Amino acid sequence: MRFLIFSLLRLPIGVLMLLLLCLGNIGNSVAHLSSSSESTLHTNNWAVLVCTSRFWFNYRHMANTLSLYRTVKRLGIPDERIILMLADDMACNARNKYPAQVFNNENHKLNLYGDNVEVDYRGYEVTVENFLRVLTGRHEAAVPRSKRLLSDEGSHVLLYMTGHGGDEFLKFQDSEELQSHDLADAVKQMKEKRRFKELLIMVDTCQASTLFSQLHSPGVLAMGSSMKGENSYSHHLDPDVGVSVVDRFTYYTLAFFEKLNMYDNASLSSLFNSFNPNLLMSTAYHRMDLYQRSLEEVPVTNFFGSVMETLHTDSAYSSHRSIDVGEAKIKICTDQPISGSDRRILRNMNNKDQENSRHSFGQLWNSILSKSTTPENVDAFVCHSLLLMLPLLVVSTWLSR
Amino acid sequence: MAEISESPLQTSEEKSPVTQMSEPHESDPDFDPKTMRKAKPGLKRLILSLSVLFSFILGFPILWKSIEIYRAPLPFRSIESFSAQIESNPLLFPCQFQAIFVGFDSKSFGADELESAIEKRMLELSSKSSQCGTCNDNYTVSVVVDSRSHCVETKNMKPSCSWKCGPINKFDSIGKLKDNDEEADELLQSMLGSCYDSGYGGKVYSVVVVNGDEEVRAVVGKYRHAWITGTISEEEAVSRIAEIFVKVFVNGGKEEGSIQGEFMPVGADGKIVLSFSLLNADPRDWVYDWNFHEVGEVLVHPVIEALQPIANVTVESQVLYYTPKSSLSFWDDRHGSHIFSTKDLPFFVNSNEWHLDTSAAAGGRSKILQFVVYIPSAKECPLQLILPNGERSETNGFISPMWGGVVVWNPKSCVKNSDTKDIVRNMISPQDLQKVFEVVLGQLRQLFGLKSTNLYVGLSGTSILLGSERGFTEWELDVLSRHHTCFNLQTCATTLGSLSRLVQSLPRMIIKDEIGKQVKFSLEAAKLAQSNASVGIYDASAVSSRQSRSLAEDAFFHPSIMSISYYSFEHCFAVYSPFFLPVLMHVILAALREWKRYKQENWKYLAWKTKAKITS
Repeated sequence: MRFLIFSLLRLPIGVLMLLLLCLGNIGNSVAHLSSSSESTLHTNNWAVLVCTSRFWFNYRHMANTLSLYRTVKRLGIPDERIILMLADDMACNARNKYPAQVFNNENHKLNLYGDNVEVDYRGYEVTVENFLRVLTGRHEAAVPRSKRLLSDEGSHVLLYMTGHGGDEFLKFQDSEELQSHDLADAVKQMKEKRRFKELLIMVDTCQASTLFSQLHSPGVLAMGSSMKGENSYSHHLDPDVGVSVVDRFTYYTLAFFEKLNMYDNASLSSLFNSFNPNLLMSTAYHRMDLYQRSLEEVPVTNFFGSVMETLHTDSAYSSHRSIDVGEAKIKICTDQPISGSDRRILRNMNNKDQENSRHSFGQLWNSILSKSTTPENVDAFVCHSLLLMLPLLVVSTWLSR
Repeated sequence: MAEISESPLQTSEEKSPVTQMSEPHESDPDFDPKTMRKAKPGLKRLILSLSVLFSFILGFPILWKSIEIYRAPLPFRSIESFSAQIESNPLLFPCQFQAIFVGFDSKSFGADELESAIEKRMLELSSKSSQCGTCNDNYTVSVVVDSRSHCVETKNMKPSCSWKCGPINKFDSIGKLKDNDEEADELLQSMLGSCYDSGYGGKVYSVVVVNGDEEVRAVVGKYRHAWITGTISEEEAVSRIAEIFVKVFVNGGKEEGSIQGEFMPVGADGKIVLSFSLLNADPRDWVYDWNFHEVGEVLVHPVIEALQPIANVTVESQVLYYTPKSSLSFWDDRHGSHIFSTKDLPFFVNSNEWHLDTSAAAGGRSKILQFVVYIPSAKECPLQLILPNGERSETNGFISPMWGGVVVWNPKSCVKNSDTKDIVRNMISPQDLQKVFEVVLGQLRQLFGLKSTNLYVGLSGTSILLGSERGFTEWELDVLSRHHTCFNLQTCATTLGSLSRLVQSLPRMIIKDEIGKQVKFSLEAAKLAQSNASVGIYDASAVSSRQSRSLAEDAFFHPSIMSISYYSFEHCFAVYSPFFLPVLMHVILAALREWKRYKQENWKYLAWKTKAKITS
C-alpha cells in the first residue's frame, strides 16, 4: 500500500520532468527555426519536375511533366537549373504512332519532345531513393552536377510531381511508394540546410492534397489537384494516339501560363483562382499556412520564371603597375589531374586509432566483434564455431556416461 | 542414459511390490515408492538441461551485439556547445591601429589628446553591436607625433614596429608623397613594413598624416597603411583617420560590416572554379578568338595566389559560337550605337543557347563563377549599356551575385567581311584583352562584396584606394579573411547542429565511422580557427575555418544517411523470432521440468531418510 502511494507520487514528478524536457525541446526548435534569416535575397530559381508512372497508358503523366518543363523553360529557367525525372520513355515507345513526338493536345500543335529536352533521370533511375537524394543533396561523389539540385539559401524551388497517388502516398514506377512523412522529412532537412528560400509544391495525382499534409517547414507553399477522397481526372482522350494525353489540372495550369511571357507579373493568387472546380471535376486545394507572404504580391515568375539579380559594374579595376603582357613571362600552369573520388577518405587516421586504442575488455570485445562480422570473416567464424562444438559434444557425452 | 538412471529406480520399484507381494519386509515397512526413494537422485539430467539453457542464455548477448546497428559515436554535447558558442559570441579579431603625424608641432598636436580623440571618434563610427568578423573592443590605438625637433609616442608598439623618429632626410622623401602615389606607397611600406612580419596580436593598420601646403588628399595604399597630405586641422585629421580606420580597414569600404550570404561565392568544399567563356553571337559575321593561356593566365594568376587562404581557385576557359542574347536592343542615334538598359540585364543571359556549365572539373560542391565576354553580331554592333541616368556605361558589364559576370566587347569596326566566304579568325589584341580583364577583375571583386571603383566616399571626405595587381590589396584580403572565417564557422555550426539533430531523431540509422571522423576533425579545425582568430592570424584562421566547413558539409551530405534505409525493431524481431522462439520455449520447459523432477525426487529421498532415521 505504501509502495503504491510512493510510486504514484513519483509519477507526477516524472511526468513533470518529461513535460519540461518537451518544452525545452520545443523552445529550442522554435529558436532554430526563427533564426533563419528572411533577409537573404532571392537570387535564382530551380525546378524539379517528376513523372513517376511507367507504361504506355500513363502517357498523360509524361505529357504533363513535359508541358510544365516547356513552360518553365520558356519563362526563363535554364536547363542547368531544371531537374527533369521521367520514369518511362513515351516518345520512343514501340506503341507510339508518332515516334519521337509527345503531344499534350489532340490537335497535335505542339510537340513537347521537339527540341532541347534534357532529361536528367530517366527510366529506372526514377526511384524514391534517387528522388530523396535529389532533394536532400546526399549523392555519391561521382554523380555529375547536372543531376544535383545545387540550390542555395536564395533559391526558390518549384517541385512538380505527377503520377498515381493516394492517401498520403505517391506511387513510383508501380513498385514503390513515397510516403507523405518521407517528403515532409526531406523538406525539413532541406530547410535546415538552407537549400531553399521558398518552395512551391504542385502535385497532380488522385488525393493530391494528402501528400503534403505532414509538412511543417516554413516557407513552403503547396498546391494539389484534389482533396482527400477525390480523384483527379484526365482532360481528353486523343483517338489518334490512343490514350489520354493530358490531365485536367495541368491542362488548366498551362492555359494560364500560355498567356504569359517572361516580362509579366501575374500573381500566384490569380493562378490559384483560375481553377474552376466544375471544370477540374475535383477541388484544387492549396496550403498557405506555412508561407509568410501574401499571395497577391508574389508574381508567378518568382517560381516559374527566371530571375537574375544584376548589379552594374561601375569601373574596371586597374593597377598602375600594369603588366606588359607581351613581355611577361608565362607561367605554364600544369593541369592538376582531376581526382577520381571527391570524398575525403581519411586514410592516415587508422594509425592514430591504433595508437589510441586502450587494452580494455570492451575494446577487445568490440574488436573481436568487428573482426568477426566483416563478410570475409563470417565464413571463418562459422567454421571456428562448428569445430568448437565437437569437443563440447565429446565432453558432454563423457560426463553423462 | 535416462533409461539407465531410471532402471535402478524402476528395479527398486519393481522390487518393492515384488517383495510386498512375496512377504512384507521387516527392514522397510513404511516404504512407499510413490513418496520415497532409497537412492539419492542423480544430477546428470538436471545438469544437462541446465547447461543447454545456460548456453542459450549465454548466447543471447552475443546475438544482441551482432544485430546491433553500428553507429559511430558522435560528440553531441561538444557540437551543441560549439553551436551555442558561435551564436552567442560573434567572432571578433584583435586589431591594432597606429596614427603617425609627420611635420606637425607636438605642442599644438598633443599625442595623448589625439589618441583619446581618435578612439572616441572610432567608437562613434562603429556600429553599436559588434558584427561578426570585425575588430574586437580592446583594439589599441597609438599615436606618434614626429616633428623635426623631437618626437612623441603614446604607447609602445612592438619594438620592430616603432616609427623611427629623427632622421631628417625622411622629411624630404616624404615630401615627394604628393607626386607619385605608387612610389609613396612603396616608401611607406619600406618604413612600416616590419610591422607586418609577426601576425600575433592582429595586424597593424597605420595612417600617416603629413603636413603640407596644398589641399587635403587621402590615399589608401596597397598594403596596410594610408596617408593624408595637405593642410589639415586637428579635428579634420581625427575624423578622417577614424573613418579610414573603421570604415575602410575594418569594414572593407562597405557601408556596414555585415556579412551577406550572396557575396560569399566559395563552394562547400572550399573551391571556386572561374570559368571564362568567349561568346561569338554570330560567327557568320566575325569570329574572334583569344589567347587566354598567355594573357589570361598572366593576369589571373596573381589573383588566384592572393585568394589562397580564402578559397582554392581553379581556372578554365572556352570559346563558344552561335550564342545570341535573349534580350532586345534598339538603335539610338544620340549615342550612335545599339542600346540596352539596366532593365534588360536580368534577361540578357540566354540559357538556352549559352551552354556554360559543362565543366567536368568542378565537383558537386564547388562553386562555379561564369565570366562571359560577349561579342555581339553585326546587326547589334556596337552594343552599349545605358545607365538609368542616361549615361553610357564605361565597362559595358554587369554581375549577378553567386553566378558571375558578363562584359560586352565590341569589335573595332562593325563592318562585317561579307566579301570573303571563308571564316576569318581574328584574335583579340592583348591590349584590348587586358582592358577586358580589368573589367573582369572588377567584377570578381564585386562578387566578393568589394567595390570595383578606386574611390571611397565617406562622411569626412573622399579617399583614393590604390589598386593592386593581385586584384586585392592586403587590407582587403584581411577583411575577406575575417568575413569568410566568420561565415564558415557559422555554417559549420549550423551544419553540425542539423546533423546531430538528425542523427538523434533516427536512433536506428547506421552512422559510419567516416562520418564520426569527419565530425571530429571538423570540430578540431573549428577550434583551431577560433584560437587563430583570437590570436590575430587572419589567414590561418580562414584556412582552418574553410576546412571545418568542408568537413562538416561532407559529414552532413554523406550518401549513407538516407533515412529510408534503416532497420526498424519490428523488422529485426520478425526475422529472428521464428528461429529462436520455438527452440527457446522447449529448452526452458525442459529445464523447468527437470528442476521440478529433481526437487520431487530429492524430497522423496529426504522423506525416506527421515523415516529410516526414525525407525533406526
